[in-house]
Amino acid sequence: MKATDIQIALCGSAGDGTIAAGDILRNAVARAGYRVISFDVYPPEIRGFGKCISRVRITTEQSYALKRQSDVFVSLDDSHAIPHVGEVRPDGAVIFESQPVATVAEGHHISGHIHPGHIPYGIPLRELSEKSTGGGRSRNLVVLGYIAGLLGLAPEHFLSIIEKKFTKQGSEVVSRNQAGFHAGFQAGTATFKLDNVFFTPLGTPHGSEQVVMLSGNAAVAQGCMDAHLDTFFGYPITPATSIMERLAVALPKRGARLLQTEDEISAMAASIGAGFAGARAATATSGPGLALMSEMIGLATMAEVPCVVFVSQRGGPSTGMPTKTEQSDLNAALYGSPGDSQHIVIAPTNVEGCYRCAGKAFEMAERYQTPVIVLLDLYLSNRYETVTLAVSGPPFNLNANKPRPRLEAGEVYKRYALTDDGISPRAIPGDAGCMHVITGLEHNELGRPSDQEEMHAAMSRKRHDKLLGALQHPDFTVSKRFGDPGRVKVGLLSWGSTFGECLEAMFMAQAEGIPCAAMKVVMLAPFPVQPVADFMADCDVVLVPECNYEGQFAHLVQGILAKPVVRLSRVPGSPMPVEAILGEVRRLARGAVTAIAS
Amino acid sequence: MTAHHASPSVPPHRYVIIGNGVAGNQAAEGLRSRDPEGLVTIITNNRLLFYNRYLLPLLFRSHKDWRELQSHSADYYQKHRIRVIRDVRVTAVDAGRRQVMLAHKEPITYDTLLVATGGRSYLPEELADSRHLLNSFGTYEQAMAVKKALPDRGTVVMLGGDMIGLDLARTLLSIDCRVVLVTHETTFWPHQVTPEVRMEFLNVLRDMGMDVIDGDAAGGVTAIEPGTAGLPARRVVFRQGGDVYGDVVMPFYGLVPSVEFMMGSGTDIERGILVGTNLRTNDNHIFAAGDVCQIWSEQEHAYRFYYGYQNVRAMGAVAASNMTGGNEHFAITQNGSLSRDGRGHIDSSFWAYD
Repeated sequence: MKATDIQIALCGSAGDGTIAAGDILRNAVARAGYRVISFDVYPPEIRGFGKCISRVRITTEQSYALKRQSDVFVSLDDSHAIPHVGEVRPDGAVIFESQPVATVAEGHHISGHIHPGHIPYGIPLRELSEKSTGGGRSRNLVVLGYIAGLLGLAPEHFLSIIEKKFTKQGSEVVSRNQAGFHAGFQAGTATFKLDNVFFTPLGTPHGSEQVVMLSGNAAVAQGCMDAHLDTFFGYPITPATSIMERLAVALPKRGARLLQTEDEISAMAASIGAGFAGARAATATSGPGLALMSEMIGLATMAEVPCVVFVSQRGGPSTGMPTKTEQSDLNAALYGSPGDSQHIVIAPTNVEGCYRCAGKAFEMAERYQTPVIVLLDLYLSNRYETVTLAVSGPPFNLNANKPRPRLEAGEVYKRYALTDDGISPRAIPGDAGCMHVITGLEHNELGRPSDQEEMHAAMSRKRHDKLLGALQHPDFTVSKRFGDPGRVKVGLLSWGSTFGECLEAMFMAQAEGIPCAAMKVVMLAPFPVQPVADFMADCDVVLVPECNYEGQFAHLVQGILAKPVVRLSRVPGSPMPVEAILGEVRRLARGAVTAIAS
Repeated sequence: MTAHHASPSVPPHRYVIIGNGVAGNQAAEGLRSRDPEGLVTIITNNRLLFYNRYLLPLLFRSHKDWRELQSHSADYYQKHRIRVIRDVRVTAVDAGRRQVMLAHKEPITYDTLLVATGGRSYLPEELADSRHLLNSFGTYEQAMAVKKALPDRGTVVMLGGDMIGLDLARTLLSIDCRVVLVTHETTFWPHQVTPEVRMEFLNVLRDMGMDVIDGDAAGGVTAIEPGTAGLPARRVVFRQGGDVYGDVVMPFYGLVPSVEFMMGSGTDIERGILVGTNLRTNDNHIFAAGDVCQIWSEQEHAYRFYYGYQNVRAMGAVAASNMTGGNEHFAITQNGSLSRDGRGHIDSSFWAYD
């Protein structure tokens, strides 16, 4: 029996409940045991305007990216859905409202735009909603029920998720929404299914693992909690806000603290203060906030204070495109702070990576006494995936500080002692005999201001060299190669959220017989020079797909390794299409063949 | 022949065809060929593209996906720029505005309209309340529902027994199903047979293995009921007493033209839409073809229906020609006689298609 691989896209206007329906769908199928990857696109306006799309890919095995074409496409608002109807695969289903409440201008109903190769399902969503719930607002739940009935999904998980989602609004609301779902479910069950998509039964999950569904930001928050974050300071900004929202609920329950500051500068400064005091501290922001924080990040670098900054990128520069994804803050994360201010920058490539990077960021910050920037983007922050967590508990070291040697009698504590590995003994305020000064000024081993040439050179070297240890940080994947071993025609070198699309493209290229491999680079600073160099040496040509205009990662690679790469830099405001990467791989593979033949 | 041709200053002619059957698709093909610039739109309440309904009985012999029944691929429609609006219902035609009104409240404007909606199964009024217990056989979905409901070597009770039903019946007999025919005045429809011929061919059906119940003698069917435990799923009750059980009960009482949406359009309608042999209605912008229209017969001085694949296809071609300025006339291509094949089994010219 074929494995399940179904992508459902719901498209509507803000206020149609499109995102809510997608949320219920992904939670219900995840609870049923399927693997999910999901991403929502929504407008910056709150209600009544722009387009909302929720795409949910449901698989038996974990997938790495959304498919370009959905198997089922739902229109809750034809004006928004019509431009997207081509995103349905051949023989895919298009579900639409057959009884809209108002007159439709000629050419403005989706039925006239459905391709001959698609299967239309015109459903009286509003009528079913009104009959079952007394109002038309539950069209989104009717259509969920219809999908479940049509595709043969059991309703139990949907009903329990609906109950959970609406329980705060009272039992009447829960019942009403469940009634809407039931009405759709019955209609779906009664509909002859023409499409050839099936949900295959699932096996029993492995006992040592638990599968949960999280968004990237939820995974970050969970990672923070499991790494025993003590304090969080933040200022809301799309798409990072939900990290703070989640922590605002979770942290107080554990006796930890969260403070919404007056701006990003304060948030960063407070995080540094908490880190100085020995707490695990973090903040979260996006590109514009990172710009404000850059001076303070330099302070943390100079003062060697552990702190973690989660940066979820969006379209820029400036306010840019708050609800569109981009990977264009790499330069700002790497180089944004003035001076030779190197710090650790890591970028997870999937939701599970968000969890691991969040937890590991605190270890690294403590271990290497530095700010750590965890670079996300809107696609990753808002993307939902089923994540496998070990039942045995969080895989994080809750105290990663380098042990501080005992002070001998009469010995003076040197907070910035020059050591072999560059990591100095760290004391926190109140530690007996360890009174010291920290400052943004260059300093000597005691922390006292010093602008002597030799000291500045030594301290600069120390601040850089100590970070190299992070390349061997325990239980952390700095970079990883996938695909064909040995020599390949095309190598995909990628970072951040685009790596999932690269991996899908690589699998497709391999299926076409193209020798292909892909490498994800999770640690961007310090840069894992050797593994990347080894990978590039194996490739006839290296392709670097990334969602920014300048090819910032390609610049980084070429700057460090001085080897040519082919850039695939796009700024669509949406994830890089797998087909775009695959097309480039094909083109390069043909070129590589020619080069070898000649 | 003076086909419409768009020039830069003249917008393309808008041809709208209501109906996705043989006549409608034949017309679409002809329109595209005669007016390469015209906008051709087919409107249908079906979900699928045009497929050969004459092949539906084959579904009982072997598994066939609906794609295997399709007459044209999706690419054909894209290549020929024929837009097909599916799974929508036409509620009215506003001849004054030249607009087709769809149930979802969208108007579709035409310059020339072809109505080719065919017919739907006729169901006697006394069986209307039992509709949910009956299985129709007009579409792929309905055929598959019958297949699903019918157990191996199961029993089908056919009410009426028009030639659509008898086509299915001979297939069911060939796969060892039991077929019970309850006769009606529509048995052998659309053939018009004398009592002697009727008796002759009922005996042919019996010889083929069919159980034939004289519906008139039984007083007609009064109700269909769910079967009781241990018995087949349906019970057919006769007015004079007595009953018969079947796993599936299917009405085959002939077709009635689907013309309700044309009421109020100003088009002359009797039972079907009235047209001349050029298939034009009393509205110069509206044509009709296929099972939905009654064509004036000079010979009989009456409007009459012409059934059968070949007749209907010929109508589609004539309509396309005349919608693009031609002046062709429909001539019957298929006569309507019952016959026997080489094995002595019933055969009909209406079962012929190509």
